[in-house]
Amino acid sequence: MLIEIKKLDKDYVMGDIVVPALMDININIAQNEYVAIMGPSGSGKSTLMNILGCLDTPSRGEYLFNGVDVNSLDDDHLSIMRNKEIGFIFQTFNLLPKLSSLHNVELPLIYAGYSKDERFERAREALRRVGLEDRMMHKPSELSGGQRQRVAVARALVTKPGILLADEPTGALDSKTGVEIMALFDELHREGNTLIVITHEREIAEYSRRIIYIKDGRIFSDEPNPKKI
Amino acid sequence: MQLEENVHIALHALLDHKFRSFLTMLGIIFGVASVIAMLSIGEGAKREAIAKYQDLGVSNVIVREKKMTSAELEEVRSKFSPGLSLSDAAAIMDVVPDVEQIAPQAEKEAEVKFADKSARSTVIGITPTFIKILNYETENGGFITQEQYDAKAKVCILGAGLARLFFPDSDPLGQMVKIEDQWLEVIGVMKPKALFTETVGELSSRDLNNDVYLPLSTFNTRFMKENVLSSEIQQITIKVKHSDRLPETSSLIRSLLHRHHFNNEDFNIVIPYELLKQEEKERQIYNILLGAIAAISLIVGGIGIMNIMLATVMERTREIGIRRAIGARKADIMSQFVTEAVALSITGGIIGVILGVTLSLSITWFTDVTTYIQLYSVFVAFAFSVLVGISFGYLPARNAANLKPIESIRYE
Repeated sequence: MLIEIKKLDKDYVMGDIVVPALMDININIAQNEYVAIMGPSGSGKSTLMNILGCLDTPSRGEYLFNGVDVNSLDDDHLSIMRNKEIGFIFQTFNLLPKLSSLHNVELPLIYAGYSKDERFERAREALRRVGLEDRMMHKPSELSGGQRQRVAVARALVTKPGILLADEPTGALDSKTGVEIMALFDELHREGNTLIVITHEREIAEYSRRIIYIKDGRIFSDEPNPKKI
Repeated sequence: MQLEENVHIALHALLDHKFRSFLTMLGIIFGVASVIAMLSIGEGAKREAIAKYQDLGVSNVIVREKKMTSAELEEVRSKFSPGLSLSDAAAIMDVVPDVEQIAPQAEKEAEVKFADKSARSTVIGITPTFIKILNYETENGGFITQEQYDAKAKVCILGAGLARLFFPDSDPLGQMVKIEDQWLEVIGVMKPKALFTETVGELSSRDLNNDVYLPLSTFNTRFMKENVLSSEIQQITIKVKHSDRLPETSSLIRSLLHRHHFNNEDFNIVIPYELLKQEEKERQIYNILLGAIAAISLIVGGIGIMNIMLATVMERTREIGIRRAIGARKADIMSQFVTEAVALSITGGIIGVILGVTLSLSITWFTDVTTYIQLYSVFVAFAFSVLVGISFGYLPARNAANLKPIESIRYE
């Protein structure tokens, strides 16, 4: 099992008050699954994404990633985990505006310690995969929204991570471009990648093979997507 | 994370805000420039002083006749003081233990003539020991020999300035110059001496290059004294064997002369070494003061860097969040911002070094203050600026590294 989450709780402490954000979460995700985590805003889905993405740690319970207990990792090892195993795709792309597409895609490889030549080869390969090889030297401001999100996808892919974690990937795009990005996700899934998409939109969740619905910090339902079977 | 990437980011950040970076660096620039200029002025003054006192001889004691009006002169003579004399010199040589060499000299202001040219100069009667004690060399011809001295030969050695004035194109050796009513043969020319720009004790400032030297024996037989009451000689230069015993030796000479002169204070004793020490001490206080000013300037520069780095970290919170999310460790973020602070301070340091060197050179060029830039001072100033960058960049960089990735990535 790639991801095993058992009896996971997450609390936020606000002054003297403890606010529970996630309660009794149990999820298993296998290699090459395509999962959507759905829920209204404030349901706790972003908190779950942060924990899945090793940006945050649970208050209680267990999170095993490939058998590694994420809860026991220190800050440096969490960073290495994010670098090697997680590919983030954000709603607002989160590219560095002053760097070219190529340099943006190279960034994770720089932190992973790859040589210059290797970085260039792998980043170019990733950009080719998302169809932007001819936009390598363009800065984000010179690209359309859809192209920017493709660069972000290339950046997420470039370290060949265990999971791709997308947070509202189409939230900042028009519907036509959104459909293109979701089609790209489909292809990536077919190529063997494991995808987790966090969204509040039913249509986006419909692209996945399995939908986990979260409400008030608890898992409300966890079922295969009937339309894709 | 690779240094190359850090430097790349740092230089980009610096160039993206050229004016802001420049303002930030000003403190460092002026700090480094003032350290270099200050050290070069201090070193210049030191070298000048050493050269000056080396001319007088750092292991010498100089006894010099006091300048007196004719009334004062009459008074000391009426109190039986014979004034400085060759017998004083002989007594010092005999009685004082630590004396190595002694050189008496007599002086007189006189007109020196050659062909249609003439110059007012100081004519100095000396003994062959003179050149062994004082830091003089001839650049052409020789010095007065014992034979010439004993024979009271009518020979002289010209100062470099006088030689240039009288013989701009021709060889002065063997030429005859006229001093008062005496013709003297030129047997040598002194090497040029630095201007004696300030009065040291009883030694007043003048251009030593206009002096004329001749045997003291010749001087005493061929020339009239300025005044019938004038002393036989005007100065005795004593070289001691051990310069650490200078104070004792000089006080011994003082009491000896006192007795010989029947307690008349008609002479002064100058110890160049003591004056050198004293001047060094005064300069040290001055150096400490200037050093403190330079240090304050560097610290203020550092605070400027810290201030701008804190603002930069704030501005780039989101960038930090993104970098953390894709795998940068705290140490990566930390080194990125320290590198940026160091890039600012190094650039400031380089500009400061250029400014400081230019400043030193133009001080020498436009004023008569001597400066001397030592290589170590450039390195010290530069190293300080790097140190300032690291130490004042540390806190903002730590702030950046400690930002929470989840919060900073959503920072607008």
